[in-house]
Amino acid sequence: MDGVDLGIEPGCIFGLLGPNGAGKTTTLEMIEGLRRPDSGSITYGDHDLVRSPAVARERFGVQLQTSAFFELLRVDETIDLFASFYRHTLSTETLIERFELGEKRKAYVQNLSGGQRQRLAVAVALVNDPEVVFLDEPTAGLDPQARRNVWDSVRQLRAEGRTVVLTTHYMDEAEALCDQLAVMDHGRVLDEGQPQELIERRQPGAFIEVAAEVPITGDLRLPGLERVTHEGPKTVLMTQRLDETLGALAEWAKQEGVPLTGLATRTATLEDVFLQLTGRSLRD
Amino acid sequence: MRQLFKVTGALLRTLVRNRQALFWTFFFPVMLMVVFGFLGNSNFKLNLLVTGPRSGPEARIVQAYEKIPYFKVQRADRKSALHLVRIGQADAALLLPPASSPPPWHATLVYNSANLQTAQQAVSAVTSAAAEINLAMTGQHPYLVVKSEAASGSRSSTYLDFLLPGVLALMAMQNSLFGVAGSLTRWKEKGVLRRFLATPLRPVQFLGGVVLYQLVFGILSAALIVAIAVAFLHATVVLPLLPLLITVVVGMAAFLAIGFVIAGFAKTEEASMPIINVVSFPMMFLSGVFFPVTSLPPFLRSIVHVLPLTYLVDGVRGLMSGQYAAWAPNVQSDILALLGWFVLLAIVSTRTWRWE
Repeated sequence: MDGVDLGIEPGCIFGLLGPNGAGKTTTLEMIEGLRRPDSGSITYGDHDLVRSPAVARERFGVQLQTSAFFELLRVDETIDLFASFYRHTLSTETLIERFELGEKRKAYVQNLSGGQRQRLAVAVALVNDPEVVFLDEPTAGLDPQARRNVWDSVRQLRAEGRTVVLTTHYMDEAEALCDQLAVMDHGRVLDEGQPQELIERRQPGAFIEVAAEVPITGDLRLPGLERVTHEGPKTVLMTQRLDETLGALAEWAKQEGVPLTGLATRTATLEDVFLQLTGRSLRD
Repeated sequence: MRQLFKVTGALLRTLVRNRQALFWTFFFPVMLMVVFGFLGNSNFKLNLLVTGPRSGPEARIVQAYEKIPYFKVQRADRKSALHLVRIGQADAALLLPPASSPPPWHATLVYNSANLQTAQQAVSAVTSAAAEINLAMTGQHPYLVVKSEAASGSRSSTYLDFLLPGVLALMAMQNSLFGVAGSLTRWKEKGVLRRFLATPLRPVQFLGGVVLYQLVFGILSAALIVAIAVAFLHATVVLPLLPLLITVVVGMAAFLAIGFVIAGFAKTEEASMPIINVVSFPMMFLSGVFFPVTSLPPFLRSIVHVLPLTYLVDGVRGLMSGQYAAWAPNVQSDILALLGWFVLLAIVSTRTWRWE
């Protein structure tokens, strides 16, 4: 970790976005009291969490990246067991109902599906009625439907006035879910802010994706055009003035006799921001 | 303490549900006792020499001994009988009084004292057989009274009785090693430990819960094995409960500590298995579980003598055979040695232990 400085507002969904090995989990573990930072400070309200990590463990709810429980314990027994560690708790019944685990109440953990395990992990994270909930890669490995369900329950947590801190390496998830975002790589925070604000600040333009019978090469001079990249057979033009560039592009194609077979425009996404910040795509 | 018990309770539940593991836990020791107990019994006979008349009522005593399959009875005259016993060609000689004296006959049993185990078996077997013979012969007075110097507390007689305490000690070792080293590395690997660490549960409470679970499981399974051995395999053992319990618990503590040391540096469950085997195999075969340590070559004996399983086997066998009185010095020294191992290994394990 290298000089990470984060401020998380109460009541928001805060996302840590970055590739594997960026230091997201390590950051969470230090806040959760699972790992001691070599230097620096972590405060929660008036509490110094480096000095007294016990406060974090009592008040925070935690779902770890690999949420493993005893395989041969039943769902309700697992929640009960964790509830017995805290002073203030939500009832097991409430949690089972809320996360739709009623049918699986008496099932062994080893017989749960991926989505059910995930729901159990979040239910256990809520067992102490926490003010702050940490979710480490809550949707990793889930199918699209299960992912949507997780998003809904994350939003519900916010609606209840809880603060949610989550990590993800999905751009769409970060963009759709998070109020505040910190982009991380190599143990450093590259930028932070609201997703839209980040995009507008880092990538204010728009993109035109052009497909042509012949790849567009050579010197392209169009008004507002900032950068030309090639993605396979497509040519991607980045522009600050979408309307002018589009008009000029059509004109140019006609003049040069290049038949265009496809044209799409889109505004910048977090993906583009990330590419600009790190020089590489998150999928690598 | 409440949280600690919760962890123990949860683990006991998962144990009961793990039928396969449970089956193998008991199958192996029971099979050992059935197979080796059977082999041992059929092979082991006590060489008994009998002096005395070949006819008359005394001859019936000799015939009675011959009928007991445990003895290989041979006749001899007094002088050669004593000689054969002295040089170890026979285990014991029963010297019957001259004929024509009225019953009860006072016989003397002379045994070879080089092998303590065999000597005790000889004495107890001959005297108990004498009691049976007396019952069988319908006289009002006892026909035969056997006098023997080493009569105090020698009860062990069959190989099964010898094996059972060894099996109990072996189980204490295996359960503790595999239970702790195996499951802790698995939990470490899968992130179960981290999840517990993220709660107010203190690490010492969690580990305490694991240790308590292992002790409860170890004691219950030992009790079950003893019950099976006594009820179905006809083992005859004495059970001085408190000293036995303390010896076994201290022994398990020492092996649990070894388990923690292994779990400390093994990163995965797969990595911990060969280490467990390297630690447990030599003790399993050398520490006196299956045959007495005294039958090992002297150079090996001195090494084997200080191994934790050797102390545990010695203590448990001494108590269960009646050879050691409840708090005999031998029992005390076994317990102290195991405590020493425990303290030493517990210190090592606090150095090597890693939560991830």
